[in-house]
Amino acid sequence: MSDEYNQKNTPIKAQSSETTSGSSGSSKDIDYVRPAELPEQDLYHGHSFITKWIFCQDAKVIGVQYFLTAVFTGIVGLVLSWLMRLQLGFPELVPFITAEHYYQFVTMHGMIMVVYFLTALFLGGFGNYLIPLMVGARDMVFPYVNMVSFWMFFIAVCVLMASFFVPGGPTGAGWTLYPPQAILPGTPGSNMGIILMLVSLSLFVIGFTMGGLNYIITILQARTRGMTLMRMPLTIWGIFTATALAMLAFPALLVSCIMMTLDKMLGTSFFMPTILQAGEVLSYGGGSPVLFQHLFWFFGHPEVYIVALPAFGIVSDLISVHARKNIFGYRMMVWAIVGIGALSFFVWAHHMYVSGMNPWFGFFFATTTLIIAVPTALKVYNWIITLFRANIRMNTVMLFCLGFIVTFVNGGITGIFLGNVAVDIPLSDTYFVIAHFHMVMGIAPLMVIMGAVYHWFPLVTGRMLSEKLGKWHFWFTFLGAYSIYFPMHYLGFIGVPRRYFEMYDSPYVTSATGMNEFITVAALIVGFSQLIFIYNIVTSLSIGKPAGKNPWKANSLEWLTPEVPPAHGNWGEKLPVIHRWPYDFNVPGAKEDYITQTTPPSEVISAEVEKT
Amino acid sequence: MHPGIIFLGVIVGSVLFHIFTPWWWTDIASNWGAMDDTINLTFWIGGGVFVLVCLFMVYCVLKFSYKEGRKVEYKPEDHKLEKILTIATTIGVIALLAPGLIVYNNYINTPKNALHVEVNAWQWGWQYRLPGEDGILGTAHVAKISDDNPFGINLDDPNGKDDILIQDDVLHLKKNRPVKILLRSLDVLHNFYVPQFRAKMDAIPGIITYYWFEPNKIGEYEVLCAEYCGVGHYAMRAKVIVQSEGNYDNWIKEQETFSDLIAKQNNDKLKLTIVAKNKN
Amino acid sequence: MSDNSLNNLPGGFKGMSQDMGSDQTVFKGVQWGKVMMWIFLLSDTFIFSCFLISYMKGRTSTVVDWPNTSEVFSLHVNGVPVPLLLIAIMTFVLITSSGTMALAVKYGYEKNRKMCGWLILATAIGGLTFVGMQAFEWSKLIHEGVRPWENPFGAKQFGSFFFMITGFHGTHVSIGVIFLFIYSRKVFRGDFDKGKRGFFTSMKSDYVAIEILGLYWHFVDLVWVFIFAFFYLW
Repeated sequence: MSDEYNQKNTPIKAQSSETTSGSSGSSKDIDYVRPAELPEQDLYHGHSFITKWIFCQDAKVIGVQYFLTAVFTGIVGLVLSWLMRLQLGFPELVPFITAEHYYQFVTMHGMIMVVYFLTALFLGGFGNYLIPLMVGARDMVFPYVNMVSFWMFFIAVCVLMASFFVPGGPTGAGWTLYPPQAILPGTPGSNMGIILMLVSLSLFVIGFTMGGLNYIITILQARTRGMTLMRMPLTIWGIFTATALAMLAFPALLVSCIMMTLDKMLGTSFFMPTILQAGEVLSYGGGSPVLFQHLFWFFGHPEVYIVALPAFGIVSDLISVHARKNIFGYRMMVWAIVGIGALSFFVWAHHMYVSGMNPWFGFFFATTTLIIAVPTALKVYNWIITLFRANIRMNTVMLFCLGFIVTFVNGGITGIFLGNVAVDIPLSDTYFVIAHFHMVMGIAPLMVIMGAVYHWFPLVTGRMLSEKLGKWHFWFTFLGAYSIYFPMHYLGFIGVPRRYFEMYDSPYVTSATGMNEFITVAALIVGFSQLIFIYNIVTSLSIGKPAGKNPWKANSLEWLTPEVPPAHGNWGEKLPVIHRWPYDFNVPGAKEDYITQTTPPSEVISAEVEKT
Repeated sequence: MHPGIIFLGVIVGSVLFHIFTPWWWTDIASNWGAMDDTINLTFWIGGGVFVLVCLFMVYCVLKFSYKEGRKVEYKPEDHKLEKILTIATTIGVIALLAPGLIVYNNYINTPKNALHVEVNAWQWGWQYRLPGEDGILGTAHVAKISDDNPFGINLDDPNGKDDILIQDDVLHLKKNRPVKILLRSLDVLHNFYVPQFRAKMDAIPGIITYYWFEPNKIGEYEVLCAEYCGVGHYAMRAKVIVQSEGNYDNWIKEQETFSDLIAKQNNDKLKLTIVAKNKN
Repeated sequence: MSDNSLNNLPGGFKGMSQDMGSDQTVFKGVQWGKVMMWIFLLSDTFIFSCFLISYMKGRTSTVVDWPNTSEVFSLHVNGVPVPLLLIAIMTFVLITSSGTMALAVKYGYEKNRKMCGWLILATAIGGLTFVGMQAFEWSKLIHEGVRPWENPFGAKQFGSFFFMITGFHGTHVSIGVIFLFIYSRKVFRGDFDKGKRGFFTSMKSDYVAIEILGLYWHFVDLVWVFIFAFFYLW
């Protein structure tokens, strides 16, 4: 089938991937882009409601399906967080919140937000929608597998939700599910709850692997003509690296889930030493609870970057478009993303400084952890340098980006506290940790998600979201969330331990009652202010201002489809041809303040383009 | 109002909150002042970076708000600037890491004269075991625990006979005497944590973990479990009393050793048999 | 685009990164499905690595002695225990099936339908034999009292890890066998010559699918070598 294509391309033209130097020749030479290496992609076009909208193989529809499912679980997680906060701020106000329920809320909130909400939203939602559009593909490379991936995720969510309704309720083992406690009586939901959780996670991993293969191979092997790796938007770099991390980190989660399921159901002793519970020696013996922690965090730490890297990428693009300036230090941004991704596999035990592992590990993991701070800091510098001498549109999208920078820098710096082993010892397992990770991987990525929704809503639906409502939504969310988590660090300094249902009258924490009440009220306000967002989305679907083509005057490929919103197959008759990177804003000598990726050099001959 | 002003307010508010906060550490009661110092150092360097980065962001936002036709700088890369920033950040990170590692090195190397104290944790309570005059704790195993042998001490181990058993959740410590806490758990993970001592470590069933500190302030402190251990986690409290040498010695004299316990139990058994015989 | 432009190309690491980063594809001329299988196998390698590292950790840290594997796994022939006999046959069969698979790929690309089909069938039968022998070994061990949660020979973890890891590998082999049977039918029917569209995916079939299946099969064999070394030789 591919003979004619092979002939056209062998020997593969070895010229450099950067566009041919424009030094000589006619405009035709300048615009030269290598011929297509691949045949047109064969697509299955749905022709009934079911094949078009439900069991659909179009990555864009799958992306929206992922998005909506993830948002649904996220709302469940949000409600759980209210219940937790009510207990912490006003103990005994809500009578049905017992200690068992409280721990179940904590667990389900954590697991839902990290795995089923953020991971699924960034990679499943944004990944599916944006990858084919941004790299100039007609669809994901394996549309059928992609569809199955979503439905596996959907089943995983159903299993997870089912655990709320089984006898004993969902597991209350904490989102880290540490054995032996997770599968022993004494922890809520230690029968059906934990089993369903482990099954659901396994299904998630399987489903995600299917999606992840699609994302990686679409990015590696299905880019359009002219789309070199160093011309991809940073969004794609972020999603790509995060997916690669996921492919290598989720195996550890799957393995630990399998082993714990066997411990629970067959009575094996992988993680279970000899245990004396309620006066009886259990039949377990000889296993190692620390092994689980190693496996879990070998997944868990890359997981942090699975959430963070797409956020880094997306926010870079949003900042660049709305500041009307190229992203500063693109190449360094790419290497920073890749470097952070690679390093993230060598830092996992910084979650375990006080876990009782061999104390000598502390030196190694503290050092690697602080090394990771360097590329991360460079990314922050590059974002703010991008704002310098730019032309910043102060719209909702930009506000969310600025909110991201503030919360991310804050959370990143508290990360340095916790990564440095001696500093971590007094702070670990206190509210300082809670405040840190909510700031850095809760609020900061959420800011990006919301900014991204405001940015790409016109593309997906063809209509703009209301700016006025958007700004209200932003200020409520940002100021509210910041005033939840900034003071919370100080609870950690006092020494308030996490996962305490009730502090009682510990002499040194009585002063924190007022702060706890304040945080609870703020959490409720932030939660309810999301109704503005939902209202905005729902009403804008029908009455929003029609967006037209490329309303933000962006350069990247997703805005350049012949139809808006893009149709199945994305590009109409002919695939686009790429001539430059996506950040040519305000190029000196150019007529307009942006040059799209598809603009051939001959059309902007007067522009002094430096980077292609 | 320009959004930049509100962001500026957030930064200023954060700094003010930090200056005027009523919420701060408990007074330290152990030798780990160095941990507080490293936290302070991180706070100053990190806080400085946070304020600078955010202020620069606010400046850009205020200065370069959208204006039709504004001249925008076009400079995709600046190797010199990038290099300077990399080196500066690396130096900052080393300045934070090096003291941390030195403190950590002290943390994992227990002084020779440290008093060994074994902490037993279970769902949900604490008990303690101190070595007798030989200064050595006898070996023990979870499976050997019974009503007669609440710590599961190995009966064949002569070191265990004079161990002092404290079946109560109040632990007494001597002021200015380093303590090596040896942690054992009977069931799930726990963590023996006294905020005033700063130090902590998980107790793991099946193995013995340790950490050390030197209490240097007389007083009573609350012990909290700092590793989630099931539904009673929040109620798993205990007490540590740091005393002067004289008071401590008086206290320890009153405590029962393992051989006392065995003797007492044998006595009780004897009595029971006598009672039973008399009944017959 | 003249030929001497070849001489101006950067070499070394820079050249490599430029080649990798060039437009459209990173791996020139490699089909999507093949890249997918390689990356899937990389991910699967991590799964097996996690299993085997956990096994090593479990085996070294257990409190009770590990059973003497050369006795436990020995097979009695005429009343004489022969260590490693069964496992040697199993390994031999599986490695042989890798050979037939490689030949099947070759004949597939030569569009030699018959040879290709028969060789795939032979591979499938090899795999089935392997799974059968594994089932025999499992039942022998279970008969001797080895359970996932306990065994009469020593540490509990022996049975746990053995059944879990060989079971997980056996599942891989079984899935491979199922696909081999399906593909042999497809080859005999001539799907790959006609480019028949898949029942589920509705994509055109191509002989490259056999190479992809081959990659999987070789990987499963390779993993077996490691499991063999860690369980039976250690």
